[in-house]
Amino acid sequence: MLSTTRHDTTPSPSLSAVGRALPPHYASQDQLIGALRDLWATKHFNLERLEDLHRNVQVGGRHLALPLEEYPALATFQQRNDAWIRVATDLSETVARQALERAGLTPKDVDHVFFVTVTGIATPSVDARLVNRMGLREDVKRTPIFGLGCVAGAAGLARASDYLRAFPKQTALLIATELCSLTLQREDLSIPNIIASGLFGDGAACVVLRGAEASGATGPRVVGSRSVFYPDTERVMGWDVVDTGFKVVLSAKVPQLVKDHIRGNVDGFLAEHGLTRKDVRHWVAHTGGPKVLEGFESALELEAGALERSWKSLRQVGNLSSASVLFVLGETLEEAGAKPGDWGVVMAMGPGFCAEMVLVRW
Amino acid sequence: MADTVTEAMAEIRRIAREELEFEGAVEPSHDLLRDLHLDSLGLTVLAVGLENRFRVLLSEEDAQGVRTVEDLARLVATRVAARASGSEAGAHP
Repeated sequence: MLSTTRHDTTPSPSLSAVGRALPPHYASQDQLIGALRDLWATKHFNLERLEDLHRNVQVGGRHLALPLEEYPALATFQQRNDAWIRVATDLSETVARQALERAGLTPKDVDHVFFVTVTGIATPSVDARLVNRMGLREDVKRTPIFGLGCVAGAAGLARASDYLRAFPKQTALLIATELCSLTLQREDLSIPNIIASGLFGDGAACVVLRGAEASGATGPRVVGSRSVFYPDTERVMGWDVVDTGFKVVLSAKVPQLVKDHIRGNVDGFLAEHGLTRKDVRHWVAHTGGPKVLEGFESALELEAGALERSWKSLRQVGNLSSASVLFVLGETLEEAGAKPGDWGVVMAMGPGFCAEMVLVRW
Repeated sequence: MADTVTEAMAEIRRIAREELEFEGAVEPSHDLLRDLHLDSLGLTVLAVGLENRFRVLLSEEDAQGVRTVEDLARLVATRVAARASGSEAGAHP
């Protein structure tokens, strides 16, 4: 059930820079409720209850791939996915260029691109389109990953780090691009879909990871990671793929799973590295939602404010699925005032149901 | 009223089976939390389904005295009766 990657004796890759971008179209939660209210009224009687569900997720508004008024015309999966490919490719290029610039690198320095998403599909994948657009090298390796959902930000860091331990002179990009608004099933008026439409937003992030022997590598090191799979929880979260696209599966069991397991998972993971929770100064948690963040805080007995960056991100832009934890990671790298020797834990959960923890040292 | 209780029971069974993926039997004496294993989302799905089917409002205060499937069905029947008699409790928002 547990899979830990320990690298006590192997050089650790570094997290050199994080790029983040949000689409330019913004809608406040009240604007979104106003746009959806007439739709809800075609089936539901108690609209105030639905508005409360939207407000209870504590999201102030979301950035959207398209202007709000363009969504009703997206009737088919093809229309939604075509829009996804167009916007996802643009946004991915933006964050990749931004991250490389912050790391002082160029597209030609990239040896491997990991691209994660769960909100659209493309073949050739978005990473392939970036090779052409950005002028990445012809021998660049590409690993597009679909289906990990919200955990893919943390899991992507872990998999890219695994790779760089084998190729310590190389540089990898992890790009997480999620356009959750383009998965919205307007005709699905179920409560899970209505909650999802209140919680999830659009955005992209890119992390530059560099092997331990890459010249000029800076930033905190990825010391180890652990994957945790929770058996027989397939209906907790995911998609039912229907004719019109991705229909959300969302259970209220997510916060309970966090409360039941994350403490033991984190303690076990840290113990493998001779650490306890008190040794961790920086907690980088996926912004799953208010109950998930409260679950992290209570289960891990975190000090007040320990997850403030996650709360702030949730309030400002909502849950960006796999990109969320990388947004919080970027804020942490740039603002936390971390000192050499500080420990940090990046953690996220997603469909499976599963969790991924990444141990970082400055 | 008894007819509405029976109808509400049937609707609770339908929602449990079709929307909450609950595969077991749903009996009047079943505890919503303990026997049907409903969490906050499940309770919301159930409440919304009943509100839509019977065109009534179920409030947080209403839920205080509701523990079993039968309690819930009787609450729905009470709200339907109140609406029929023109009281505000069943009025559309």
